[in-house]
Amino acid sequence: MSLLQEEKIKSELEKKFSLDILGFEIQRERRIWLEVKKEKAVEIMAYMKNKLDFNHISAISGMDMGDNLGAIYHLVQTGIVANIVVETPLSNPRLDTITEIFMGAEYYERELEDMYGIKINGLPNGRRYPLSEDFPKDQYPLRKNWDQKKFEASAKACSYEEAEKNSGDEEKI
Amino acid sequence: MPKITIPLGPQHPALKEPENFMLVLEGERIDKASINLGYNHRGIEKACEERTYIQDIYLLERVCGICSHSHTSCFVGCVEEIAKVEIPERAQALRILMGELERAHSHLLWLGVAAHEIGFDTLFMYTWRDREHVLDCLELISGNRIHYAMNIIGGVRKDINAKQKNEILKRMDILEERTNYYVKLITQEPTILARTQNVGLLPTQEALKRNAVGPTLRASNVKSDVRKDDPYLMYDKLDFKVITADSCDVFGRVFVRVFELIESYKIIRQIINYLPTGAIAVKVPWKIPEGAAVGRYEAPRGEDIHYVKANDSIKPERVKVRAPTLANFASVRYMLEGGYLADVPIVIAAIDPCMSCTDRSLVLDGEKTSSYSWNDLRLMGIEFYKKKGIDFSKVKI
Repeated sequence: MSLLQEEKIKSELEKKFSLDILGFEIQRERRIWLEVKKEKAVEIMAYMKNKLDFNHISAISGMDMGDNLGAIYHLVQTGIVANIVVETPLSNPRLDTITEIFMGAEYYERELEDMYGIKINGLPNGRRYPLSEDFPKDQYPLRKNWDQKKFEASAKACSYEEAEKNSGDEEKI
Repeated sequence: MPKITIPLGPQHPALKEPENFMLVLEGERIDKASINLGYNHRGIEKACEERTYIQDIYLLERVCGICSHSHTSCFVGCVEEIAKVEIPERAQALRILMGELERAHSHLLWLGVAAHEIGFDTLFMYTWRDREHVLDCLELISGNRIHYAMNIIGGVRKDINAKQKNEILKRMDILEERTNYYVKLITQEPTILARTQNVGLLPTQEALKRNAVGPTLRASNVKSDVRKDDPYLMYDKLDFKVITADSCDVFGRVFVRVFELIESYKIIRQIINYLPTGAIAVKVPWKIPEGAAVGRYEAPRGEDIHYVKANDSIKPERVKVRAPTLANFASVRYMLEGGYLADVPIVIAAIDPCMSCTDRSLVLDGEKTSSYSWNDLRLMGIEFYKKKGIDFSKVKI
């Protein structure tokens, strides 16, 4: 088992972004984890794509860590998965879009918006995914404090007009 | 010519699952397409957090009816990695055996659906008849045709014996012969060629840019297969080829899948003939220590990725599932634009979409939630028709 390639990625990234990478771990062969500052996340991912051949994004996993919300970007370079952890405060959760670097990330980012309420700056307008248009806009089902029973007791689906507005169909086409 | 917008779906002739495409047409050509998903959302990720690891296996199996083994293998692999469990070689081999049988069953099913979409129903009947051989093998091993429930944390649930091995090998011979016939068919039949060549084009650069996965990506001439790139279980010890096609169209996607069938049979034969001896499972404690793992698995439709975070309890902290179909939707938009309306069903079908994989959630409305028995449903039906003036209540069943 050799970790040559993984070590190389580590040294290249640490050389370039020494101050912005908060943590780096080689979990096992073909799996690396790094924690980065959210302001620099897009720049680091662009560098990884252009210079280190991480040209595929597999998924973005949202996470509720209590005081912070997190997103894990799973980038892939033929076999090696780099898991980039980015955190954003629960009080004002915001991240920048990466759709300009990875076109395929659009649905994953919409999922973060819908399920965790992380506002994605720069994400093009479009229909929600995966929740339906009449699902209340202030409910984020994958947050830990979200309770289905409480939600059912209190929440009302938004009105037809509002749902129509949320869908964004007409403007888009 | 004025442009018109037509909705295709959520309920539509092309697919049995709900998804909506808004198509802007200029005559017969598609000028613009947009995709709306989410009609099948069932909340499985949230539900996973509220259940134990063992319950989650059965829940995740129901993410998809076809790649049920893929999702559980991927999840169980993550959990075993966190728990630092090495599963026995025989269990690994049996998981691969199920995985490849599943790939064969999925690709045969898809070939039939694709044939159906272009109006070639004879091929549809043929492939679905042959698919029964695969389903029989799966039933023989696990007892079930679709949700095999073979994976447990630490190994597999059932072993196979010599009689079953022989039966599977016998079926493989039949299937190989049939598949060779399909190879001849798809490469020579004029109607298939006319409907698939130069349809739904996705050039290599676009496929990479749009992060496509699986047979869709391989048909755009990219040699990418998780089984080779990021080998899990014991795929690194097996001999098989990654099939690619350079035509970058629907024909390429048919070609890749049909030849992958032959590779799957090859893997199944290798596994059966050189099945390692030993135990089929090891014991793993219910409580999984703190940690996180990312697992990738080459499902029949492409790369399936699971992220599991454990918090030293019997329930996971977070389970994230990204099924292959979602990754391919960005490409579908590109494939549709510029094509003809009549080709829409086959272009969409060419990525082998699975909406229940993609969405995974359902919000139950607490007050309205109730369950119906078969009898209740029948009474409801009788009431419904009574209002229309037809009385079915006298009919005996």
